[in-house]
Amino acid sequence: MKKALTIMLLVLFAVSTVFAGGAKEKAADGTFKVGIVQLVQHVALDAATQGFRDALKAELGDKVVFDEQNASGEINNCATIVNGFVSSKVDLIMANATPAVQAAASATSTIPVLGTSVTHYAVALDIDKWTGTVGTNVSGTSDLAPLDEQAKMIQEWFPKAKKVGLLFCSAEANSIFQVEEVEAYLKKAGIQTQKFSFTDTNDIASVTQKAADWSDVIYIPTDNTAASNTEAIANILVASKTPAICGEEGICKGCGVATLSISYYDLGVTTGKMAAKILKGEAKVSEMPIEFAPVTKKYNADMCKTFGITPVAGYEAI
Amino acid sequence: MLELKNICKTFNPGTVNEKVAIKNLSLTLSDGDFVTVIGSNGAGKSTMLNLISGALTVDSGSIIANGKDITHLPDYKRASILGRVFQDPMMGTSANMLIEENLALANRRGQRRGLRWGITEVEREFFKKSLKKLNLGLENRLDTKVGLLSGGQRQAVTLLMAVLRKPELLLLDEHTAALDPKTAAKVLAITEEIVQENNLTTLMVTHNMKDAIEHGNRLIMMDGGRIVVDISGEEKKNLTVPYLIELFNGASGNTEANDAMLLSK
Amino acid sequence: MTFLSSLLNSVPGAVSQGIIWGIMGIGVYITFRIMDIADLTVDGSFATGGAVCVMLIRAGVSPWIAIVCAMAAGALAGLMTALLHTKCNIPAILSGILTQLSLYSINLRIMGGRANQPVSVDKFNLLVSQRYVRELSLKNPLPLIILMTAALIMFLYWFFGTERGCAMRATGDNPTMAKAQGINVKNNMIIALMCSNALVALSGALLAQYQGASDINMGRGAIVIGLAAVIIGEVFFSKVFKNFALKLLAVSIGAVVYYLVLQITLQLGLNTNDLKLISAMIVAVFLAVPYWKKLATRKKGVKNA
Repeated sequence: MKKALTIMLLVLFAVSTVFAGGAKEKAADGTFKVGIVQLVQHVALDAATQGFRDALKAELGDKVVFDEQNASGEINNCATIVNGFVSSKVDLIMANATPAVQAAASATSTIPVLGTSVTHYAVALDIDKWTGTVGTNVSGTSDLAPLDEQAKMIQEWFPKAKKVGLLFCSAEANSIFQVEEVEAYLKKAGIQTQKFSFTDTNDIASVTQKAADWSDVIYIPTDNTAASNTEAIANILVASKTPAICGEEGICKGCGVATLSISYYDLGVTTGKMAAKILKGEAKVSEMPIEFAPVTKKYNADMCKTFGITPVAGYEAI
Repeated sequence: MLELKNICKTFNPGTVNEKVAIKNLSLTLSDGDFVTVIGSNGAGKSTMLNLISGALTVDSGSIIANGKDITHLPDYKRASILGRVFQDPMMGTSANMLIEENLALANRRGQRRGLRWGITEVEREFFKKSLKKLNLGLENRLDTKVGLLSGGQRQAVTLLMAVLRKPELLLLDEHTAALDPKTAAKVLAITEEIVQENNLTTLMVTHNMKDAIEHGNRLIMMDGGRIVVDISGEEKKNLTVPYLIELFNGASGNTEANDAMLLSK
Repeated sequence: MTFLSSLLNSVPGAVSQGIIWGIMGIGVYITFRIMDIADLTVDGSFATGGAVCVMLIRAGVSPWIAIVCAMAAGALAGLMTALLHTKCNIPAILSGILTQLSLYSINLRIMGGRANQPVSVDKFNLLVSQRYVRELSLKNPLPLIILMTAALIMFLYWFFGTERGCAMRATGDNPTMAKAQGINVKNNMIIALMCSNALVALSGALLAQYQGASDINMGRGAIVIGLAAVIIGEVFFSKVFKNFALKLLAVSIGAVVYYLVLQITLQLGLNTNDLKLISAMIVAVFLAVPYWKKLATRKKGVKNA
């Protein structure tokens, strides 16, 4: 029985090496190996990864090869993937989303780690006395849009709104953070707020319905789960005629009216440029502060038509 | 030793499937009684045994064992005074554990189980001696998994487990019914020997009228949840199967004789 | 070949993860094989272990005390499932699911309302960290977790040989017989569920330290990995390991095999999008092998006849 199993494993091994093109490109000498670990598949994270790849390719051309891995939403896989990167001695790790950054930071203190799609590095990496730079082998870009401006945007588009519902996934630390900040700003402006949190895709619909029933306007932060389920959210919001202001463009395109948009693609590009500097030796990762992407005010024309809202001046159509 | 006072048991009360299994049954057993219980299917024999052991709870009435009212004690607490052998040979032993482990479990029936080691050398010797009496060769296979034994062997082990700590009442629920005639005879012989040797109060349910007559000092026949015939002493010794069938028909008002009873010559 | 060298380099990491999960597998073994129930509490109690451990370490508590507290929390989770099952007569699987659901909210509260709490090896004194898994130093997590697993196996071997342990084994194997021998089946079920979930929480506590954070979704799908470890261990070693202690060791090895195969899959460059499909196929193949082997020997026998 052991013999049969060994033969089977060897066959599997042989067959796999034939197919081992996969997501791994062969690295010739003198090229840089970059490992990309992305937490889960969805529009924003995919865009950030694409921007990162394009920017690095533009700067380094053929001298860089990528090993792109996706953890399929499972935190535990991040550790396994990063273990593989560290073992293959990659030159740089790009970690897309908070758990990926945490796994990478925990696994190595020497290989440069660039995070992206992380809202707050101080929170993710537990850093006291935040100065804007992590200071270790970790740096990266943040997808935090200025939250006070987002709160102002809600008032700008819906000056008559008295009740704002905050819709987010309770399993995402970034979302909780954003929602709490926005809530504070809205309270200062005298607007009533209430939090509506869902645990995962299974209860998004029912929680969104509750939120829609109570609120005049809904705010959705840069929430990964919401981003993967904009269709479902849109159906409910349109039916109950409750408009939503979103934390980023992808979500706004799916179910929102307006957003202070960060293009995740641009965020990825900024990260890629940082990576190029590190690989070329022009900068040290421990000295690079966290960078942000530029912000544009955008609105969703179709949604505005559906709700019968006239777009505010100064906003671009998505 | 055992007193059943007006116990009643109805299954699925108030529904289409309602069945009155035991109707106001009263029974008194004296120490040392070896009682055989017969009756047609659905007469309530196994139900009565299950009510005594605590596997089922009575709807009304009381059960008193040696002066103590055990009517509301859960089954595992009653186990300290009872020994049980089931009809299914697989049910009385733990298939994945060794013979010696099963016997060790039985040896602690009624005691607090703490963190002492599960089986001692002294016990092993004791088990070997006890198994030898069964004459099945099992004394040399103490560390065999019970699951590897045949039905008859498992039933014999269950029997031994039931009497390892002399129980105040031994309940045998058609314990040879699932065995082939040769093994059944052997197990019955062992039963008779053990009961006589230890002077155990025993209730043995059986389908076999001949066995019911040949073993025990008292015979009870049940029908429709009641005891319809109760014979002991000299009268029992002189019983024959045809007479018994006649008695049955007369007592239950049933003129049809049961096939099983007729065939069990 | 750089592929082999990077593969070898990744082995300590995969083995460490495997051994940590193996502790969880041993917990699952207790409920699944010994008590014969499928306990779904583990998806929740795994994250509970991680949450309690990380919050305590962040509050300045020693990591040893933190993991003991994590185990206690796991035991409480097991107690909840056991009470639902024995006192409310809810089937064991449903009781486990109910507890698992409740634990999501409880875990969030433990983590102070946050879904993710980091515990950096740079800031705190951790027992294990994946940072040092390739080093030949005292900081390397491997010796500690191997010792823990060995101590655990020895303790369980002793425990299941005691009177109490034998009674528990009988409860799982044949509850009717156990009751006839005076064993309180319900109490034993409670003890088993508490012990099993304490082990699962221990595994969660160690993993949270290892990967540097505790996350609310840590336990998702944990029962699948636990069962995979048990089954892979049995398939590989059931003919060889008859001794109970060795059977527990087989569970640990099963978990290590699972993670090694996963790591190899990643190193081979197979698409991680297919990770779940591959994991399922691995477990399926291991489950089918004994059956195929039986068929093969039968055919051979017929040919020779």
